[in-house]
Amino acid sequence: MPYLSEIQNRKILGPGGDEVAKLADVAVVPSGQFPPVQWAVLATRAGEHAIRWSDLVSETGHYRVLVPLDQVLEAGLPDDALRLGRDLMDKQIVDTHGAKVVRVNDLQLEEAGGQLRLVGADVGLRGLLRRVGAERLAEGIAGVVGRKLPRGIIPWHLVQPIDTGNAANVRLTVPHAKLALLHPADIADIVEDMSADERRAVFEQLDVETAAETLAEIEPEMQVEIVGDLDEERAADILEEMAPDEAADLLQDLPEEQREELVELMEKEEGEDVEELLSHSENSAGGIMTTDFVALPRELTAAAGINRLRELKPDPELAYYLYVIDAEGRLDGVVSLRDLVVASPDELLAQIMDPHILKVEVDTPKEDVASLIAKYDLLAVPVVDAGQKLLGIVTVDDVVELMLPRGWKKRSLRSIAR
Amino acid sequence: MRRNVHRRRAAFAAFLVVMGPGIITGFAGNDAGGVTTYTAAGARFGFALLWLLLIASLSLVIVQEMCARMGAVTGKGLSDLIRERFGVRWTIVAMLALFIANASNVVAEYAGIAASLGLVGVPPWASVPVAGIVVWALIVFASYRVVERALFALILAFIAYPVSIAILHPDWSEVGRGFLPTVANDPAVLVMALALVGTTVTPYLLFYLQASVVDKGIDRESFASARLDAILGATLAGLFAFFILVVSGTVLFPAGVPAQTAAQAAQALRPLAGEAAGLLFGVGLLAASLLGLTVMPLSTSYAICEAFGWESGISHDFRDAPVFMGLVTFLLAAGGAIVLLVPKEQLLPLIVVSQAVNGLLLPIVLVFIMRLASDPSVMGSDANGRVRGTLGWGIAGLTGSLSIAYLVASALGIG
Repeated sequence: MPYLSEIQNRKILGPGGDEVAKLADVAVVPSGQFPPVQWAVLATRAGEHAIRWSDLVSETGHYRVLVPLDQVLEAGLPDDALRLGRDLMDKQIVDTHGAKVVRVNDLQLEEAGGQLRLVGADVGLRGLLRRVGAERLAEGIAGVVGRKLPRGIIPWHLVQPIDTGNAANVRLTVPHAKLALLHPADIADIVEDMSADERRAVFEQLDVETAAETLAEIEPEMQVEIVGDLDEERAADILEEMAPDEAADLLQDLPEEQREELVELMEKEEGEDVEELLSHSENSAGGIMTTDFVALPRELTAAAGINRLRELKPDPELAYYLYVIDAEGRLDGVVSLRDLVVASPDELLAQIMDPHILKVEVDTPKEDVASLIAKYDLLAVPVVDAGQKLLGIVTVDDVVELMLPRGWKKRSLRSIAR
Repeated sequence: MRRNVHRRRAAFAAFLVVMGPGIITGFAGNDAGGVTTYTAAGARFGFALLWLLLIASLSLVIVQEMCARMGAVTGKGLSDLIRERFGVRWTIVAMLALFIANASNVVAEYAGIAASLGLVGVPPWASVPVAGIVVWALIVFASYRVVERALFALILAFIAYPVSIAILHPDWSEVGRGFLPTVANDPAVLVMALALVGTTVTPYLLFYLQASVVDKGIDRESFASARLDAILGATLAGLFAFFILVVSGTVLFPAGVPAQTAAQAAQALRPLAGEAAGLLFGVGLLAASLLGLTVMPLSTSYAICEAFGWESGISHDFRDAPVFMGLVTFLLAAGGAIVLLVPKEQLLPLIVVSQAVNGLLLPIVLVFIMRLASDPSVMGSDANGRVRGTLGWGIAGLTGSLSIAYLVASALGIG
């Protein structure tokens, strides 16, 4: 199994055995699991010359063209071709398996069924050593102390080149398809390792829903940067898709002008929710609550309540507590999902609800909300205004960070120092 | 109430825009190495090296602009570009140069800490290990930002230098003569010249500036303000250097006081601060050194890990980012150990030597910068044109000949 660094600069002999060129690079079209090498780029005295790989015959230590080079058809590389040496070697790629950004030290090729294929990216120490011609030496030294040098090869089908949108760096034809298959929290980890350009490229190409979930997982400081870099329409689309409280937290950190512009661009309903949330201090219940909750009128029957749930299809974490309100929107009580399901179908919610409900006012400090939730083991607590009108809920997710010891989160270094 | 908070935030954001990477690095350039070297240059040679300082400062302006431009155009850090353009072997050369230069800066920061705390009688065997452990713990367990803010405030003690100028009334015609290129007949002048160039155009600064431009997501469109920031920052750093050198040249040089110890270097502030000169100088030097000691290992590890594709990140679990945390820890431990091997009265001369090491290695870094910034395949239409190309290569040539001159001189046993 040759590595690219081993065949680069090999001699190319003509039919007469004289050296006519050196192998400068090879090219593939990056589709399928292990793309075949289709072109060879030769360095001749007259400049670079691309020919089809099948015009070359591999011999020990060199390659041979069977017909004189000036008779070999010049094969123009298609636009989507990837030159391994120029476009991949030494570049950063995303390892979608380990969910991190790594650098390509070498590329592994494999002869299979008469076809040389790109099978993996060497991102390990061995690749580095091979490039400086010290792999054997290091292997020997490691052997003396009875250890083996680890191989750091990522199979090609798990690799995703990063497309920065910069013409000189286009390394990719498939949009971030593989990246999008990861969990948003993993994508967030990767994105935090990227440069600003690459981050923007990712957020432009992910579907809106994944983009929103990913953005929510990213550190606040970087969130602001990303939203600032994105096209406003796109940013507004992503913000709409986020939970209103998360969107509001993010918008909170933007300059006033930009914030107003984005809220303007959002759909009316989502925009209003977010504006409402923005009007509360970020350290109060109002600042951390979400306006996504299920509220049902007290005169509804249990059967009608279940039907309403079917229509609303609330997210799982919002479905445990169903709040019961009167005609003015005042909070009267709470019905658990279980109570609703086991009640006889024609009972009124007012009858089955628990009227003794724990609630907080909108200006309650967030630490107090957290300790209330912790003390009573709640999944969520409703937030009301002075007139008892139900405004939103604070879920345990929103306060879990307040309960954790400080500094548990891995900090990003990019913004610290280099 | 809420509106007020927003307005204050907006004002703060505007401040941050003005206080950009360039200006911050301009200040950061005045670390232990800078202050000590400029003071020592003034004390030993008076104003005679001002012409070299002028060239070094102009060079900083030109090179810093290039790095900011590279960061904005490519969206990549300097070590990133070096690796992608020149491959593994050259990357090792560049990273080795950066590592040695930065390691000598770490030594300088430790020496600065030992010297400043020595003013109040704390011996190096106590101050150095404690500083190392505290900084390591700060890096791993606390936020760098908090440290940065606090220390920046203390570094303002160095404003004493420009203020001193106002009450010193230096002989301006004498100062003016310093801008005429002359070479003192003193074998120590070569090391001092290298240190002066090396501490003004520090390799570390160039990597740091480009990384912060990339980090802030500054692109081609918003580059105009970033360029201004880079140029202003470099100019500011040059001005500060000028003030320190003139103050030292006015106070210490005629009195024949060498800046061998912190107490002697602090004498330069005596006309302004009287008895408090030692305190003023000590506080500034301590803060600058501590800040440098926090940034330098992080910055070095980051650049190296970026070049080789190793995981970087701060964590007390070494397995998360073994090379990164290993490098940070090694730099902090080895740098401290070296300082402890040096006698107390050699601390300030050690700092000057460390800056000379930076000057010695600078040409290597400059060649990489020039090759990249002049390459249209990297920079597109923003590559260096003829003027900037000539200026840049001129700087690389000048610093290169200075390094070679020093190497030849020391080989012949002159320097």
